[in-house]
Amino acid sequence: MIQNYLPFLIPIIVLELILALSALIHLLRHQSFRFGNLFIWIIIVLFLQIIGPILYFTIGRGEDA
Amino acid sequence: MNGFTAFFKKEWLEAIRNYRVLLLFSVSALFGMMSPLTAKMMPDILANVKVEGMVLKIPNPTFTDAFVQFFNNFSQMGMALLLLVFGGVLSQDLVRGTLIIPLSKGLSRHAVILAKYTAALTLWTSSYALAALIHYGYTLYLFRLVSVKHLFFSLFCLWLFGAFLLAVLLTASVIVRGSYGGLFVTVAGLGILLICQTIFRMERFNPLRLASENMALLSDKAAFDPLLTIAWITAGFILAALILAMAIFKKKSI
Repeated sequence: MIQNYLPFLIPIIVLELILALSALIHLLRHQSFRFGNLFIWIIIVLFLQIIGPILYFTIGRGEDA
Repeated sequence: MNGFTAFFKKEWLEAIRNYRVLLLFSVSALFGMMSPLTAKMMPDILANVKVEGMVLKIPNPTFTDAFVQFFNNFSQMGMALLLLVFGGVLSQDLVRGTLIIPLSKGLSRHAVILAKYTAALTLWTSSYALAALIHYGYTLYLFRLVSVKHLFFSLFCLWLFGAFLLAVLLTASVIVRGSYGGLFVTVAGLGILLICQTIFRMERFNPLRLASENMALLSDKAAFDPLLTIAWITAGFILAALILAMAIFKKKSI
C-alpha cells in the first residue's frame, strides 16, 4: 500500500528534511536562542516535523550579532 | 528609485535573509502536496488503526475531500504560520530603532507602511498561489475531476482573509509597543471575531466567514452573495486599517 504513494511521499519528505536541516545548520552555527537551550531546540527541530523549524525560525532564534 | 521601491526591496531582502521566504514557500508547498495525499490515503490510514469489534465504513475520498484537507490546513496552520512569520514585521524595527536613520534621511512614513504591507502581501500571495497550484495539480492527478461551484472564489476568500490578517497585524503593530505587541493584539482581535461568530451569531459582516465557509461554498451549502458582500466589506476593512496605520504612524514618535 505504501509503495503506491511513494512517488508522492518523496517530495514531501525531501521538503521536510530541507526545513529541518536548514534550521539545524542555522542553530548549530549561531547557538543563540531567545529561550530554551541548544539541546531542546535540536530535539524540537528534528522531531517536530514542519512545526519545529517554523517555531525555531520565528520565535526561537536569537538576534544575529 | 523612490522611497517606496527602495524600502520594498529592502523588505524582500530582509524576508529572504530572515528565512521568511523559505518558511512560507516550503510550508505552502508541503500543504499543497499533503492535502490531496491525506485525503487519498485516509481510508488506508483508518484501516490500519482498526479497533477490534468496530467496523469503520469510510466512503471513497473524492475531489472535494482533497479541498476539505486543503482548507483545513490553510485556515488553521496556514494562518498561524502567517501570524508567526509576520508577527514582528514592524514591531521589531520599532524596538531596535532601525527605522530612525532612513526616516531622518527623508524616507516618507507612508512609504514605510505601504512598502511593508505590499512586501508582506506579495509574499503571502505568491506562497498561497504556489500551494493552490500544487494542490490543484495533485488533486487533478489523484482524483476524478468533479465540477464544483465557485472554486476560484472560495480560494480567493481564504487569500483575502490572509490579506486582512496582515493589514490588522500591521495596524496593531503601529499602535501597540513591544516586539510582539501587534501579534498579541491581532490574536486577541481574532478571538473577539470568533466569539462574535460562535456566541453572538454576528455573522452577516464577519470576515472570519471568509476562512470558515470555503467548503460550504464549494458544496453549495453557503450562498454566494452574502460572502461576496463580506469580501467587499473585508476589502474595505483592509483599506481602512492601512489608512489608520499611516495616519497613526505619521504622528508616532519613534
